[in-house]
Amino acid sequence: MKEIIKITVGLTLTCLIAAAIMGGVFIVTAKAKKHNEYVNFQENMLKLLGFDQNNPAPESLQLCTVFRYLIYQADKTSLGYMLPIQNKDTDDKISYQLILVSIQGTFVAKYDLDISPTQANDGKDRAKAISAVLTEENTKIAFADQFIVAKNGDKRLAYLLPGKSPGFKTHINFMMALNASYSIVGLQILEHQEDPGLGAEIEQEYFKNQFTGKDVERLKTLKVIKEPLPDEQLKFLERHKWASDEFTSDEIEALQKKYQPKDICAITGATISTVAVVNGVKNVATKFVYRVKVLENIISKQNISVAF
Amino acid sequence: MLEDKKSYSNIFLNGIFNDNPIFRLALSMCPAVGISTNMMNGLLMGIAVLFVQFCSSLTISLIKDFIHPRIRIPTYTLTIATWVTVTDLVLAAFFPVAYKSLGIFVRLIVVFCFITMRLDVFARKNPVFPSLVDAVGMGMGFMLGMIAIGGVRELMGMGTLLGYDVLGFRPLLFFVLPASGFFVVGFMMAIFNYTEIVFNRRKRARRTAS
Repeated sequence: MKEIIKITVGLTLTCLIAAAIMGGVFIVTAKAKKHNEYVNFQENMLKLLGFDQNNPAPESLQLCTVFRYLIYQADKTSLGYMLPIQNKDTDDKISYQLILVSIQGTFVAKYDLDISPTQANDGKDRAKAISAVLTEENTKIAFADQFIVAKNGDKRLAYLLPGKSPGFKTHINFMMALNASYSIVGLQILEHQEDPGLGAEIEQEYFKNQFTGKDVERLKTLKVIKEPLPDEQLKFLERHKWASDEFTSDEIEALQKKYQPKDICAITGATISTVAVVNGVKNVATKFVYRVKVLENIISKQNISVAF
Repeated sequence: MLEDKKSYSNIFLNGIFNDNPIFRLALSMCPAVGISTNMMNGLLMGIAVLFVQFCSSLTISLIKDFIHPRIRIPTYTLTIATWVTVTDLVLAAFFPVAYKSLGIFVRLIVVFCFITMRLDVFARKNPVFPSLVDAVGMGMGFMLGMIAIGGVRELMGMGTLLGYDVLGFRPLLFFVLPASGFFVVGFMMAIFNYTEIVFNRRKRARRTAS
């Protein structure tokens, strides 16, 4: 009996000490980790817009995030868009409004949210602000996704869409940029756990750049073909890596047009990862275009002065 | 018995040659097969294991008098798990670039049996300094093994070494696939053992000659 107590106490004590150490380290590092994720996200956004260290983003660049929520009220479900609003009269300060849209795409209601732009980056603060205005009983909100509108001055540069797709092992998180006419200008893989040397090739330029220039109509029928990339196309896709001066902008445009109708070539030994990315991109882009058209329609009808 | 310098170097070299975790003890084969698809992964994994082995050996040799012999294995597991978690969190927070390529492997270190084995066989019975020497030796042995396997697989599969193009073509993609891990480990183990046998025979011959 004495032995059992000794063992129990010993084990409990060991566990407690281990838990204390791990908890302590977690608390110390949690903030830095969150910050890293945020920085990574921001960096990828700028990369997609074509800005880097040599070509820094201009001061006037504005990234407006629109959050989409699913809102369940009693027996009906609606979509809630949290939009950044810019008041032209009161020194361009950004506030947020929640717009309820029915599943069929008609306008339901509009609420002013009490939330600051820094708080809007935090999921919990957003949920709190939204539940504060939806006073009906039995209201449940669920975060669906978000998209970012990049704006330079009065000109819209691109829509940035983060998305995820089930890959070979876990989810592949990616982000793509669509221009104003809804064709892809870039794709970045944010996080994945595919096999190095096989599925991890989705990070490579020659794969990501195959998506560039495809518009929504093309995306609907986009397939994966099991053919090797022709050398000529490979050279074009990897031009940033090897020979950035070799192509003039006219040539780039011509080649982009030439490859636009082409399907995506599967990566050798990683067809599953390739298909996962292609399906993810198709899915996110087509749904987004449908939604954004509905949203734009409502915004112009209701005369909402959005920040983007 | 461990006072003179010679035995410290013996303990150190023991981990690399006589008791090499991969080639002689055939322990922790899962990572050796699963992760060593290229040289960089092997190297990073080796460094992470070296660190965890070092810290765990230090901890266990310090607290060995307080561990009840009946619960020593859970204690080792907990010690290793704690250090692995610490490594994981610190890497994720302060070295995001390294974490990106190491992330999934670090958590695997918890189940590396040769770390537990070293704690039970060595750190539990010896003072702090020899334990540390032993930990570094074992860690180095594992790291060198991983680098060798990863190097062969990367060179044969992708034609590159540490990401640099060496051959200019891909000899056999098969070497990157999981199954080839067994082949490469098997062949390297055979070569290792053969060298050992030849070396020992010569040593014995020299001894008998003198």
